[in-house]
Amino acid sequence: MTPEVEGYGCTVDELMVVAFSRAMDNDTRAFNGAVSFIPVCGYLLARRTHAPNLVWAASSVAIDANPVAIPESTLSDALWDGASMLSTSPHDFWSYASGARYNTFAFRGAQMDACGNVNNTVIGPYDKPKVRLPGGGGMADLSTMIPKIYLWNTTHNVRTFVEKLDFRSGIGWGDGGDHREKLGLPGGPQLCVTNLCVFDFHPESRRMRVASLHPGISIGDVQEATGFEVLIPDGDIPITAKPTEEELRILREEVDPTSARLREF
Amino acid sequence: MDKRASVEQLVETIPDGATIALGGLSMNSAPMAYVREIVRQEKRDLTVVAIVAGMSVDWLIAGGCVKKIVSGLVSFEGLGLAPMFRMGVQSGRVEIEEYSEDLLICRLRAQAWNLPFVPTKAGLGTDLLPLHEETGTIRVEVDGATGEHYVACTRLPVDVALVHAHSADELGNVRVDPKLIWMDNEIVNAAERTFVSVERYVDHADVVAEPHRTTYPQFMVSGVALAEIGAYPTSCFPEYSHHTSFFKAYSAAASVPEEFETFFADRVLGPKTWDDFIKSSGGDEMIAEIRRRSA
Repeated sequence: MTPEVEGYGCTVDELMVVAFSRAMDNDTRAFNGAVSFIPVCGYLLARRTHAPNLVWAASSVAIDANPVAIPESTLSDALWDGASMLSTSPHDFWSYASGARYNTFAFRGAQMDACGNVNNTVIGPYDKPKVRLPGGGGMADLSTMIPKIYLWNTTHNVRTFVEKLDFRSGIGWGDGGDHREKLGLPGGPQLCVTNLCVFDFHPESRRMRVASLHPGISIGDVQEATGFEVLIPDGDIPITAKPTEEELRILREEVDPTSARLREF
Repeated sequence: MDKRASVEQLVETIPDGATIALGGLSMNSAPMAYVREIVRQEKRDLTVVAIVAGMSVDWLIAGGCVKKIVSGLVSFEGLGLAPMFRMGVQSGRVEIEEYSEDLLICRLRAQAWNLPFVPTKAGLGTDLLPLHEETGTIRVEVDGATGEHYVACTRLPVDVALVHAHSADELGNVRVDPKLIWMDNEIVNAAERTFVSVERYVDHADVVAEPHRTTYPQFMVSGVALAEIGAYPTSCFPEYSHHTSFFKAYSAAASVPEEFETFFADRVLGPKTWDDFIKSSGGDEMIAEIRRRSA
């Protein structure tokens, strides 16, 4: 079980899903990859609440899927029920992605840096890794193509949030500033939702900045769990908004009745 | 020409040192009957192209067949890291030539379309690009007309593509039916030869009656072999899903080296034919378990 959120009547996984869901607008056209329970729950919740026109391609295959529950793999066909189209080959997928017809992509990694770049390739030196991770898959591709990138991480600590990645498998804001723009890449990371807080990105440096703290978490807690200097907004730091009863009911009863999302914790 | 043969016969034609490409994606539709037979025939020094893989690559590494992996991702997803892949690369026993999905697709297209390179924006700004500076298989270039950066992906030659499908006729017309082909068409189009394992044979007359259901035409296919539940323990949509308990048993055995050796030798390689392997993996009871709810 994940920790209860003080005074919110929900747990941290639920707060993360709701925070992610609320960031999705009605023009969101998204898809998902492997082990993406928080975003999948977020897309489905947003579609059932404030964003009914949200488009979601389950496993990047099944467009407008409406599963009765979320299975143990987010690339499994058990996620595809109710779809109106199965993309039969990657040809269409890459056309939709390259042309930003799909406009939203969420990814995570074993390491993230302040500019939202992600490592899922190796821990340690590339030529002699301490841990060989799966590899980036489509991360290096989609992070260059999709304008609205969302990040999430269920284990916010100094090993995952680092000053320097061991390998950059996917690009966020790159070296920061206008690096992404100079490479000719659209948009960039918008938010990073963690089990402690929500980050946005400073509009000039493009480094992570605390957008809201989860209840009971101090800015000191976040800094202590982060391997780079955490930026703080001017004025009071907001508390991550409380989920409504209706959001929690839909998440628990309709979107993810078997709590598949806990596989990420 | 009748292209039907056994899995054993087709694998016999793959020489040591060949570059093979494996179909499927992650937990789905991997050509496992061919993979198992490659290990049983003790092929060596293979270069293995697998865009997004898992158990297939892990078996080949466990069997000592692999010189180099050319891939974008190898894992068991939520069921964990692919253990032999992880250990093989960490120990330096297996070389890895690392790309992303789209960079590999573009290299395969350059091969298939006979072009010096295919451009993409994939990978820009990532650490994948410096890995290939020396070989130049992918390189960053700037378009003189527009000033745009792109990655030029050069040809990727493949000797044999191995894919799993639902059915084929005797001539080698193959149906992936329904037509969910993951990225298999990219390796089929690039390869010198393609071998397909199928769940069942259909008559050529049936293919002619419904030609829109054909996925690969016979001239693109060098051999077809029957392998029922041939993607096991990965899935074959919509007929059966991946088998979670096999993945778990495999990963559990892998945490103890001696135990894994016995598990792999007895459980995976022990049974003589693919049918024997499926029977010893639980047979009809297991098949009933992985058949989809909707099937």
